[in-house]
Amino acid sequence: MSHNHQRESGEERDAVDDLENIPLRSRPSISIRARIVTSFSLFILFCFAITCWSYWILSEMEKKIEFLEIVGKYMVEIQQARRFEKNYLLYGTNLDDALMHLGTADTILKRHSRTIRHILGAQHLKTIMENLSEYRKQLEMVGRTEREAAIQSLEPKLREYGGQMVSFADEIVKKEQKDVARMLLLAKRGPIFFVFVLIVMMFFVGNALIRQLMMALKRFMDYTKRIGEGDFSPIMPARKYRDEFTSLAEAFNRMIRELNHRQEVLIESHKLRAIGTLVAGVAHELNNPLNNSLLTASLLKEDFHTLTDEEKMEMIDDLISETERSQSIVKRLLDFARESKTSIKSLDLVEIVNESIRLVGNQIKLAKIRLDVDFEENLPRIHGDEQMLKQVFVNLLLNAIDAADKRGRVQISVRKDPESNYLLVTVKDNGPGIPEHLQSRIFEPFFTTKAQGKGTGLGLSVSQGIVRKLGGYIRLDESTQDGTSFTVSLPITYSPSEIMSR
Amino acid sequence: MSEKKLRIMVIDDENIVGKRLKPALEKSGYLVETFEDGETALARYDEEPFDIVVTDIRMEKVDGIEVLEKILAKSDRTKVIIITGYATVEVAREALSKGAFDFIAKPFKPDDLRTIIKRAANELRQ
Repeated sequence: MSHNHQRESGEERDAVDDLENIPLRSRPSISIRARIVTSFSLFILFCFAITCWSYWILSEMEKKIEFLEIVGKYMVEIQQARRFEKNYLLYGTNLDDALMHLGTADTILKRHSRTIRHILGAQHLKTIMENLSEYRKQLEMVGRTEREAAIQSLEPKLREYGGQMVSFADEIVKKEQKDVARMLLLAKRGPIFFVFVLIVMMFFVGNALIRQLMMALKRFMDYTKRIGEGDFSPIMPARKYRDEFTSLAEAFNRMIRELNHRQEVLIESHKLRAIGTLVAGVAHELNNPLNNSLLTASLLKEDFHTLTDEEKMEMIDDLISETERSQSIVKRLLDFARESKTSIKSLDLVEIVNESIRLVGNQIKLAKIRLDVDFEENLPRIHGDEQMLKQVFVNLLLNAIDAADKRGRVQISVRKDPESNYLLVTVKDNGPGIPEHLQSRIFEPFFTTKAQGKGTGLGLSVSQGIVRKLGGYIRLDESTQDGTSFTVSLPITYSPSEIMSR
Repeated sequence: MSEKKLRIMVIDDENIVGKRLKPALEKSGYLVETFEDGETALARYDEEPFDIVVTDIRMEKVDGIEVLEKILAKSDRTKVIIITGYATVEVAREALSKGAFDFIAKPFKPDDLRTIIKRAANELRQ
């Protein structure tokens, strides 16, 4: 049971991590190109369909109009035939004219039988033909019989057939006229409807495409900003499929790896630069215990026979302690200078800051700076790389010392941010401040306000890179003519992984 | 030699320097007083002037250059010898141009200093 449960929760976690963890390459590919081609094809298909429909409806109308013309002619002929029929019955004129018109009507029907069949169907054509031939038969019969007798016996039937023939044709004409009017209306409204649908379609499809593109572009703008600020974690887009932006993301990741490598080189070269600055001070500092040892040893030798044992012992103790002092000075610099792989450890921030202060101790003395420290007690620990953090604080302190006037003042404090889970290290000098128009550029690499040959312009950019790597940030609190203050914020963490996941 | 002993003042914030130089120089026949900061040394100088002042250049508050300037202002007869460390050779030149007798770089042996003091003493006795 418990085993089962474990598996389930494992799978659940997998599902949650899914999107982020599928390698970019193995995601299904739906390219932007494909999406654009598909939407354009859809539009073209739609336009094509509408054109076909228009063509069809117009040719249908053409046929119907043609048909109406034919039926019109036919109507004229049969109406004429009927007029001659009436004339014959009433006045005894001849029937030949009527028969001639019927013949013409028949010819019309036969000549256009295809068109008529197409419009009316075979059934109706047959009815018309039958009507015509019935009427003709009756008329011929009338012709053959005596006129008076014919009027008596055949007239009603003749009338019936004639009437039927005319009214059927009339009906058809009316119906078709109505049809044509309906189709005309359709042909008029169709394109309007089509344009409307097209606009709506374009709006939605276009909007969706643009939104997708814009969102992707915006994301990449954010990435460049993030990378510019020194965050070199790879891009992992949370999308299920691949497209051109995935290739771009891969290119970005390659660039990030390259940049990260360069950043490491920069950090190292900046450290060498800082070491160069510190070495002068350290050499000076080293001269003191060396001088003490040399004086003591020389005099011990000089007066070896006249000194009491007690005095000799004191001198030897001095020699030992001064040698140890030299050792610790050298060790401190070596600890800072040693090239080593980044190793994230649990650290006491105050201790790191104190070490950094000791490293720049000589610079402080040389510049006759007064350094005030203010450390809160019992601060929680952080995680980070000891050397890198020292590099950050050494850099900030050296900057502050450079900025502070001779006999100026530098303050450094370590405290917990009461509003967040961060420790804050603030370094403040009483220098002339950074001109306001340059303040936004101070974290740019190779930007420096110092004289040529004095600063590399790497200090703050490298420091920011380091602090970002450790999940924190550096900001310029204020810079006025009364001084400048920088604060480094570092997250309070209980395990190294908390930093990695930031 | 019935000459009056020359008075030497040694100023260095490293107390071992004074502790070792005092007996070493007294052995060579000088009267030596040692100080660990410029202010007390200058106060003592006001009480009773010294012939030779050996001062470290880099000290907190009042440094060697200030000591040099103040002492020469009081008496241009006094010989001021500056002790310098690394990276302050420039400052040592400045000291010389400001009237220091000579300078000696750390680390040095007692005899190195004795030689300079002897030269200073000879000049004083001429």
